[in-house]
Amino acid sequence: MTPATNGSATAAAPEEGDIEARARAAVRADDSAHEVSAEDETPPTYAADLREAATELWRFREMLYQLTLRDVRIRYKQAVIGFGWALLMPALVVLSGCLVRYAMSRKSGVPLDLAGIASISVKALPWSFFVGTISFATQSLTGNLQLVSKVYFPRAVLPLAATLGQAFDALIGACVLVLVLPFLDVHLSMALLWVPLLVLLLFLLTVAASLFLSCANLFFRDVKYMVQVMLMFGIFFTPVFFDPAMMGRRLAGLIMLNPLSPLLEGLRLAVVQQHDLLVPIVASDGIVVWSPLYLAYAALWAVLGLAASAMIFHRSEFVFAEYI
Amino acid sequence: MSDASVSFRHVWKKFRYGEVHNSLRDLIPALGRRLIRGRSPNARDLQSGDFWAVRDVSFEVRPGEAIGIIGPNGAGKSTVLKLLTRIVRPTRGGCSVHGRIGALIELSAGFHPDLTGRENVFLQGSIMGMHRREIAAKFDEIVEFAGIPDFIDTPVKRYSSGMHARLGFAIAAHLDPDVLIIDEVLAVGDAAFQQKAFARIAEMREQQVPLVVVSHQLDRIAQLCTKAILLNRGRVVHSGTPGETIAFYVKTTTSTADAIAGDSATRIESMIVDAPGEVPSGGTITVTITGSVRPHWTGTRESVVLRVASVETGTMVFSTDTALNGIALPYAGPFTLRVDLQLNVPANVYTIESLVLDTLTSREVFPGPSAQVNVGRGIAFTGSVQMNPRLRLEEGDGASTERTNASPVV
Repeated sequence: MTPATNGSATAAAPEEGDIEARARAAVRADDSAHEVSAEDETPPTYAADLREAATELWRFREMLYQLTLRDVRIRYKQAVIGFGWALLMPALVVLSGCLVRYAMSRKSGVPLDLAGIASISVKALPWSFFVGTISFATQSLTGNLQLVSKVYFPRAVLPLAATLGQAFDALIGACVLVLVLPFLDVHLSMALLWVPLLVLLLFLLTVAASLFLSCANLFFRDVKYMVQVMLMFGIFFTPVFFDPAMMGRRLAGLIMLNPLSPLLEGLRLAVVQQHDLLVPIVASDGIVVWSPLYLAYAALWAVLGLAASAMIFHRSEFVFAEYI
Repeated sequence: MSDASVSFRHVWKKFRYGEVHNSLRDLIPALGRRLIRGRSPNARDLQSGDFWAVRDVSFEVRPGEAIGIIGPNGAGKSTVLKLLTRIVRPTRGGCSVHGRIGALIELSAGFHPDLTGRENVFLQGSIMGMHRREIAAKFDEIVEFAGIPDFIDTPVKRYSSGMHARLGFAIAAHLDPDVLIIDEVLAVGDAAFQQKAFARIAEMREQQVPLVVVSHQLDRIAQLCTKAILLNRGRVVHSGTPGETIAFYVKTTTSTADAIAGDSATRIESMIVDAPGEVPSGGTITVTITGSVRPHWTGTRESVVLRVASVETGTMVFSTDTALNGIALPYAGPFTLRVDLQLNVPANVYTIESLVLDTLTSREVFPGPSAQVNVGRGIAFTGSVQMNPRLRLEEGDGASTERTNASPVV
């Protein structure tokens, strides 16, 4: 905004209260002139595009907050079990995981110990966050047709609000997990310092997938069916109930290609095994259980995936209203 | 750069007819094409299945100005607003808006039925770009304006549709925008609220906030705007003062009937309204209808009807026909019917519609042409009928001075 316009806007309402005027000035400071032209021939660079997307998102941070609040409120308002919702899904994942592992232990003779249950618990929470977010976010654009076709705002706030709403649930789950883990023989260690990084990478990866899938579902309505199927069977291709090492050498490598796998395995090793993730683990039979490269691989997915999907999303968001 | 708050420079926008590819089956080829060619070289030209929703539209609005956009349905008015609010981007040309845009378009799009009025005010306010502090500062004012203080903590799903709309308008009206864009929301709520809403918009105009107004209520455009453009099929057909543009619109919508093969004996070929721009309330217009009758067994019971309806409300205010007046149409051959109408109605825009009625079955058997006439203020009055009042005031003993109002137009 030019200083001239700002000045005239303030001068137009001199009788306004001081605080209010200041609040307005603060809000307007980050408002800019909108210049849209089809004529400039030089295509914007990727960096400029991402910066533009980020600036717009920052301007609408209040909307993001309010939409997240809306999703959380709706979920807990008229629900019978209230905050239990946040625990139901991860608890069920843990329960089924224990069931599967118990069956396996009967066959193999290796008993399901407390560490096994702790492993499943630690991995079930991020998994249910991922699944919950993806299934909500995929339909976040098409589910808000009125908003998308009638009102301007950076469209990314819709999938992001879905992600943050689920993150709130995951936070409740995490609090409960922190209370439960000591009973599963998990102790504090320096390795826990890896957890924030792993959680951040998981969050970025989830946001990347949310942006991409919500956008894809807007253009191709059958994406949501495919996502449902993938989420249903994804648990067999992601080490939640099992550790990749149980699969043998070749299959373990394949499972670790899933960008979620290194993150979940990293969480298990850091929390349950108190293992420093910079140190590789190679089992006696030659299976690479852990390598710092796994972490680098997942980080690459998270960062590049987010950049790419934010890019695709931003470049196509201006035709959302035409295609929805 | 010009100092205009809103500028639209040779904007073109194309849309597609029918459905766009919508399933994953089409994804691979579409993505492949996009990857190989990037943006296709002639993306800015019309391809098969495309049409121009907006063609070469230019206008500017400066602080203190208000522009009205009028035109028939499908003229591109809403697309222009979507381009202004950045919901869609132009295919060619450029548009710019300086400062915060307040859009009175979809007033309650963000409302969630399960949330209370209070929660929705904050939600909807944030969607319009307001911050929590700003909304909190204006909260009482918003509730007061909407007139629902008792229901603010009730979920909006229990609101009446009027309350819903009023709350939406109240939030938008307190946005303090730098540019205000209005799309057909002047008809929200009851008459009292409409008055209040209109006053609020007029007040913003007084504060030099530039306005862009789309409305079918032509009298509102005339009252509110400093200039107006007429769109038709995406093009600017006329631009000028609101009065001029509305008059042009009204004149050009007089059309000849499409030759629909009906089973009526009587056909109306044309209707001409002799209304030079604006007719003062109480003034007389002559409507000339030409048509023909073919020998047909229903001929004797058909009647040519003329109806006058308010464009704003759609209610019919007057109707007359040949049968009612004891005028027999010819058995066969052409005819010309002239009707003098004294427009004893309040200032507004009216449609004059001609048609052929089968008096036995009361069915409309032939839709004739219609026209719009813009009735201006003749003499000041309120109410729904203009009675050509003649006021005489005598002072003192009545002998010395007598004051009368200007003799009404007859």
